[in-house]
Amino acid sequence: MHDIYNFVSGPLVWVSFVIFFGGSLYRLISMAVLARKKDVFVYEYMSLKFGLRSILHWIIPFGTVKWRKNPLFTIVTFTFHVCIIFIPIFLSAHIILWKESWDISWWYISDTTVDILAVVVIASCIFFLVRRIVLPEVKYLTSVSDYVILAIVAAPFITGFWTYHQWAGFRVMGIIHIIAGEIMLASIPFTRLIHMIFFPFTRGYMGSEFGAIRHAKDW
Amino acid sequence: MEKRTLIIYTVITLIGFIFAVMSGYSQEDVTNVEDSAFEKKMRPAVPFLHDKHNETAGIDECNTCHHVYEDGKENEDDSSEEQECSECHTINKGDNSMALVKIYHLQCKGCHQKKKAGPIMCSECHPR
Amino acid sequence: MAEPAIKRSDESSKIVDEGIDKGIARLTPEKIEQVINKVLAAETGARLKTYVETCVHCGLCSEACHYYLSHDNDPKFSPAGKVKQTIWEILKRKGKVDPEFIRDASRIASTECNLCRRCAMYCPFGIDIAYLMSVVRRLCHMLGVTQLYIQDTAHSHSATLNQMWVKEDEWIDTLFWQEEEAQDEISSLRIPIEKEGSEIFYSVIAPEPKFRAQLIYQAAVIMNAAGVDFTMPATPGWDNSDQCMFTGDYEMMGRLKKVHFETAMRLKVKRIVMGECGHAFRSVYDVGNRWLAWKMPPIPVTHAVEFYYELLKQGKIKIAKKYDKPVTFQDPCNIIRGKGLHEKARYVVDALCEEFIEMHPNREHNYCCCAGGGVINTGPQYKMKRIKGNRIKAEQLFATKTRGAKVIIAPCHNCHGGIEDILHHYGLDMELHFLGDIIYKVMEKPV
Repeated sequence: MHDIYNFVSGPLVWVSFVIFFGGSLYRLISMAVLARKKDVFVYEYMSLKFGLRSILHWIIPFGTVKWRKNPLFTIVTFTFHVCIIFIPIFLSAHIILWKESWDISWWYISDTTVDILAVVVIASCIFFLVRRIVLPEVKYLTSVSDYVILAIVAAPFITGFWTYHQWAGFRVMGIIHIIAGEIMLASIPFTRLIHMIFFPFTRGYMGSEFGAIRHAKDW
Repeated sequence: MEKRTLIIYTVITLIGFIFAVMSGYSQEDVTNVEDSAFEKKMRPAVPFLHDKHNETAGIDECNTCHHVYEDGKENEDDSSEEQECSECHTINKGDNSMALVKIYHLQCKGCHQKKKAGPIMCSECHPR
Repeated sequence: MAEPAIKRSDESSKIVDEGIDKGIARLTPEKIEQVINKVLAAETGARLKTYVETCVHCGLCSEACHYYLSHDNDPKFSPAGKVKQTIWEILKRKGKVDPEFIRDASRIASTECNLCRRCAMYCPFGIDIAYLMSVVRRLCHMLGVTQLYIQDTAHSHSATLNQMWVKEDEWIDTLFWQEEEAQDEISSLRIPIEKEGSEIFYSVIAPEPKFRAQLIYQAAVIMNAAGVDFTMPATPGWDNSDQCMFTGDYEMMGRLKKVHFETAMRLKVKRIVMGECGHAFRSVYDVGNRWLAWKMPPIPVTHAVEFYYELLKQGKIKIAKKYDKPVTFQDPCNIIRGKGLHEKARYVVDALCEEFIEMHPNREHNYCCCAGGGVINTGPQYKMKRIKGNRIKAEQLFATKTRGAKVIIAPCHNCHGGIEDILHHYGLDMELHFLGDIIYKVMEKPV
């Protein structure tokens, strides 16, 4: 167990972080290079002001017509996205690991709160799953990879919750939890989870076109 | 049986029971790792069987764990079992409680990792 | 968990379209693969790749599309659904698709999407689905598969530099004719042809001289009454329309815009003012200029709505008596999502009409007319498709009518075509006018 633990919480963490940061950087740079080569006008039309204006509207809950039209989805998706970014960063059990290895630490959320938020994340994943299965317009677009991506994102939270509550086999689950987190991190640059990285650019570009050229709102 | 006799027996049994319990405590075998510097606990304290642990781990000297450092050097003749860790490992300004958590973790988990024995994952020590 | 199979629509096989049928007959899988990969490699890049890889298949764009809403939320008509049936498949199979796939792709991209860009406002990532559909159209064009009627207009563009096979002498004759007609009403009226150094080059789409010459008449009356220094060219280049932009014939689109801009330069005008047409504005202001590597048009371009706004704001035209029927306003995609003229348009409507009733949704969020994006130009075979594909517009108009609106003002030729058919088919008894029609009716005219 020691060897496995030390491996997944040591070298594998490095590997996943390197893949995540390196991969994301690679994707960003290769997108920028390709755009420079093939869609050069994107650089001409990209506008910081209007790009940010659009992004701002879209990252504020109920900030767009679309968000207002689907209140349930809006609440779920915003809570979900905020949670999956904040929980791993501000969980005390993660911070103490940073403290032990790097002697750095920061503000943390109480475990009780995280416990509730983890349930929220898992419930959101179930919501997305049900949506995929039940809503015809989503089902039509769905392929196997969509379920895989959902599982990749849900896994660290389910296993983390399991481990925290020390249910049967929690030691093994703890190891699986660490691996699941690493898989999620590493898969961001190479799956449609890349939307995390590309969102500011796709939205920003549409915001620029709409704002600077077409003098219209895109929300 | 007379009423008085009953009272005497009862009192003796009670005293005997209290002694038994007290003697159990006085050995201080079962305890939690506590430190008064932890104002607000994030996780439940770690239950620790002192003698059993040392027996299993083959620790004879108190200062293997209850060490004393003077001017950055370990004083091998002294030990600190009467003190709480936080008396020396003070939390500096700007430190959060993570700093103290860290020294406790290093003490237990650090040694366990070195020896490849004993618990190392969160929930192995901190009970629910 | 298997992907739902892409079902071939029976509809597209029912419609007889020689442009499609003959084009498909000439295709082989090898040719398709070769052309697709050549075009994708040469012309697409970061945008296509990023859009396809960022889409999380969430389906949120669905309710943006009038086709989807009008077909009882049939997922095949959702914006991402159309991308799935076309671009995703093409990329997944690396261009190895059969001719029948191309038939369907052409149907989807050219007759089931108006490129209205409403979905860009419903996709959280701002994925430009209109662009993706344009890529499909481009591929179909390069494969020689385009609907006959719109291909005919594209041929006209390439042979005559106007959309409607209008010959040079016919064009000049039409201007003379309208000038004479209008002089019966205003004796001093002129339609100055080839007047170098004028303030304004007034450009129109070819259907105006061909079918709706009275629009030129009305424009001339407005120009003369407002004392505007304008001219119209006698040479090709007078037509600002552009069906080539919609068929994917971008080379031809570039030529058309070049001629248009160069005509303006030759006449040494200060700016181009365009008639009430949406797609032409998109071509001149947004798409065609880019093909020619002009970030913005090389000469200022003003759409009629904005021009009327200026004239009214500056008091150059006076209103004799406001239009008394209650009106509503159709926001055309290409000048609202394309230029943000919605508030100016409302200023104009308020200045002209006594009672204005908003339709809902409106402004940037208005539903498409289902005629634009070249769809109406694909021909009469697809007319019912357009009408059925925009039941939501009929519902929207009906709701506005019950709130009292009797007249629809639509400052766009395509919107007119689409709404006219919808009014007729769904039995909505409402009038349909251009802004110019109303101005002409209510303005003070010189004698």
